[in-house]
Amino acid sequence: MKTIKIMTIFLGIVVLSCTNVKSTWAEKPTNIVFLTWKPNQPEVWDTVIENFHQKNPDIHIKVQVGPHSSTQYHAIVAQRLKNMDKSVDVFFMDVIWPPEFANAGWALDLSSKFSVEEQNKFLSGPITANTYQGKIYGVPCYLGAGLFYYREDLLKKYHFKPPTLWKEMLKQGEVILKGENEQGLHIYSGQFKQYEGLVCNMMEFIWSNGGAVIEQKTGKVLLNDPTVVKSLEFVRDKIIARAAPRGVINYEEPESLDLFIQGKTIFHRNWPYAWAVANDQKKSKIAGKVGVGIIPAFQGHNSASTLGGWQFGINNYSMHAQKAWRFVQFMTSHETQKILALDAGLAPTRRSVYQDPEVQEKRPHLNAFLPAFKNTRPRPLSPVYPMISQELQRFFSHAITESGSDISEMAAASSARIEKFFALGAMIPK
Amino acid sequence: MGKLPNKILFILGVFLAAAFSLAPFLWFVSAAFKDQTQITAIPPEWLPSFSVEAFSSTVTQHGIFHYLWNSVIVAGGATLVTIILGALAGYALARLSRGWAQITLMGILACAMFPQIAIVGPVWRFLKFMGWLNTYQGLILPYVALTLPLAIWILAVFFREMPEELESAALVDGCTRLGSLVRVIIPLSAPGLFTAAILTFIYAWNEFFLALLIMTDPARQTMPVGIALFQGEHTIPWGEIAAASLITTAPLIFMVLLFQRRIVTGLSAGAIKG
Amino acid sequence: MIRKDQHLYLALLLPAIIVLLLFIAAPIINSFFLSFHRIIIGLPQLKTPFVALDNYLQLLKDPIARHSFFITIIFVALTTFFELLIGLFLALLIHHRFPGRGALRACVLIPWAIPTVVSAQMWRYLFNDAYGVINYMIFGANTNSYIPWLALPTTALSSIIVADIWKTSSFAALLILAGLQVIPEELYQAAKVDGAIVWQRFRHITWPLIRPALLIALLFRTIDAFRVFDLAFVMTQGGPADATNVLQLYGYKKMFVEGWMGYGSAVSVCIFIIVLVIAVAYVKMVGRRLLEANV
Repeated sequence: MKTIKIMTIFLGIVVLSCTNVKSTWAEKPTNIVFLTWKPNQPEVWDTVIENFHQKNPDIHIKVQVGPHSSTQYHAIVAQRLKNMDKSVDVFFMDVIWPPEFANAGWALDLSSKFSVEEQNKFLSGPITANTYQGKIYGVPCYLGAGLFYYREDLLKKYHFKPPTLWKEMLKQGEVILKGENEQGLHIYSGQFKQYEGLVCNMMEFIWSNGGAVIEQKTGKVLLNDPTVVKSLEFVRDKIIARAAPRGVINYEEPESLDLFIQGKTIFHRNWPYAWAVANDQKKSKIAGKVGVGIIPAFQGHNSASTLGGWQFGINNYSMHAQKAWRFVQFMTSHETQKILALDAGLAPTRRSVYQDPEVQEKRPHLNAFLPAFKNTRPRPLSPVYPMISQELQRFFSHAITESGSDISEMAAASSARIEKFFALGAMIPK
Repeated sequence: MGKLPNKILFILGVFLAAAFSLAPFLWFVSAAFKDQTQITAIPPEWLPSFSVEAFSSTVTQHGIFHYLWNSVIVAGGATLVTIILGALAGYALARLSRGWAQITLMGILACAMFPQIAIVGPVWRFLKFMGWLNTYQGLILPYVALTLPLAIWILAVFFREMPEELESAALVDGCTRLGSLVRVIIPLSAPGLFTAAILTFIYAWNEFFLALLIMTDPARQTMPVGIALFQGEHTIPWGEIAAASLITTAPLIFMVLLFQRRIVTGLSAGAIKG
Repeated sequence: MIRKDQHLYLALLLPAIIVLLLFIAAPIINSFFLSFHRIIIGLPQLKTPFVALDNYLQLLKDPIARHSFFITIIFVALTTFFELLIGLFLALLIHHRFPGRGALRACVLIPWAIPTVVSAQMWRYLFNDAYGVINYMIFGANTNSYIPWLALPTTALSSIIVADIWKTSSFAALLILAGLQVIPEELYQAAKVDGAIVWQRFRHITWPLIRPALLIALLFRTIDAFRVFDLAFVMTQGGPADATNVLQLYGYKKMFVEGWMGYGSAVSVCIFIIVLVIAVAYVKMVGRRLLEANV
């Protein structure tokens, strides 16, 4: 039995590799290597890339994949770029990377290819994030922003409007919990594990209290600011182990979303992709009962969403920059973004896609996202962002995990470390 | 075995040991045969519904056999090379004068003590220099290097135990030194070779961090990398992870079942006689 | 008598030595070299100045590194202790002749053969705070009192320790078993005739004779435990609140996430030195048995 299996696999591989060889021999197209992470809907991406091949027979795209976690994937991309590896042409880039990649000379300056006029056809948030010292280094593929999901059916049942204040959310939640009296039901779930997502979540709490972590202009670290400390105390005392189960301290997106689609939380913070999952009849118990809006704020302050999303960058050392650019152009065209929006549920970065009648008809919720998209704010833009992020993760995780801890004392230590990182950045000769 | 209470205690011990070793894994892989609601059910559903959905999607959607094949090549290749190099070096060390052998062996063992994370960067650069990223040899050779110290040690101790007279007899019969190694020493040290081979194979089959960095081409990725990439941003696909885990682990379990006696005797016959 | 043909031995050693030099020795030397420089990957403009022992001095003053060191020590102490204890128990069981011994032996070896990536996922599933079977066994269906094992600093570290003990106890058992098998059966027979009970036999025959094997197992386990990485990497990524940020994970983050190549290398070199010191101390204790089969 075993031998038969092995032989079949072997045969399969031989056949596969033969067909590959054939096609390359026939046309001799240029190989463009695209480094990305393993997508959730590989079939959609395969179709898009196949479309590209049809229109560009002189180019063959070879996809290479890394892990899904932004931090782990960053390690793989950085490993190749820092060693001036020519074998990668195009790479997928998280919204927080362009300053680092630009400063290190890894990402190709696209200013000559990606005109300002063309840039204006994109939403402004991701364009700003891809710009470093006046030059642009990436083309936004899809947009991420913190969104506030809620159970429309439950809110209706108790005659509530979607909350605009954090306090209001807690109050509504208490009433609903009492009314439903269901074991295991919680008010809120988000991402609070010590990883990049924690920074995204905590930023929203801080911004919506009128605070900020870093003053972008002066580089002053504001962790010890009362607005910051207060919002952290709110999360520690009112959210963790109260509104949300204590387990969220080890939750990333999948775990927290799982809780929501199992019908075990009323409110949920996540990225745009969660909409499609929550409304998927096969996966979700709450399909059709989901509402979405902007993240609540504290009294007297405005809501804010962390800017997320992914871009295409071109390797500075690529031998085929021109062809790579054609691929990037295709991948960020109206048609491709439309397919990604329709079939993969990704939020487009091109304004025109939102006006597309077919998109409006099949993905009406995308326009419901727009208010949140207008509220997006970037995480600190800095070439040393990975260091800042590690320190922020450490600080936030300590602050929300240890009840009764002295947040401002930790804030002082963390601020000092982050300021040291900034000092490093300032040492760059201009 | 003594008196009755002793016997009962012993049986209890056996039961405990089996439960300790097997229960967690059995529970986990049972998720592979369940549907999503069963997987997260409280109270747990002890009997799976034997749905094959998870398996079919790991095979069709994630192409698991493809990863498996790469693992077979990489682990098999690494084992073969390690055993050959390890046997040659082990033999030399066993016959070398004691002082030199000790020093060399200490040096080799010290190599095994360096944190792997730190050697990954330079190894990666060397592989890039050779153009071996995303190739089988690019993963096989680092694995050989990482498993050689233990293999050499086991084999050196094993060979040292071989009476030199056997070898002398072969030499008298007209064998060369290498010939006697291949025809006399190696067959007699089968258990030691076997132990070293299994240790190497298991290591290479399970290694994950190097593979993640070196193999970004999906056509070359090994099983542990495949599992690591399973984690999507959607719900955690426990069923599929469990199915893939079972498929990865099955060959090793099969090997262990088949060769458990040899693993044990191989280790005790040579290396670890303290 | 066999001729001591040094050239032949050198030739036989050469292939192995070359592989080791290229893939291990050179990287080790490279790490030492890097650890004396300040290298920040994201800021190539700063060049890579030689800073002598600066990285090491900073490391000594680094409170996060100290915390990681402390956690690693706890991890090493608890895992090696329990692994040897459970390993001894398993080895004594398997050493007995009884029907089904082969099956039990295979069972015991299974955790050791399972990839760490798999066992880390497995424990994440078992320790789950909403539907984990461990919670169910402790609290039954009362989900409100379920403990989020991986979300509390102390239990998160314990969870990783449990996962490691489960996986590597069988390896310890294997090494101890090897020691048990060289104890002559006659010793036990004689003791039985003298009327020694089980405990006495263990205390006076087994224990002294397997001590060397135990020490070897201890050595192997300590060296490995100090370099723990995979489990924390997959299960918790160092959180919550750095509670599982073991030393090697800290080094990894510095090197691969933040890009401090020099500083990260210094962390690795320190781990190497600690491990080396422990190994040398052990070898001194075990004696010159490294290459001796019949001691």
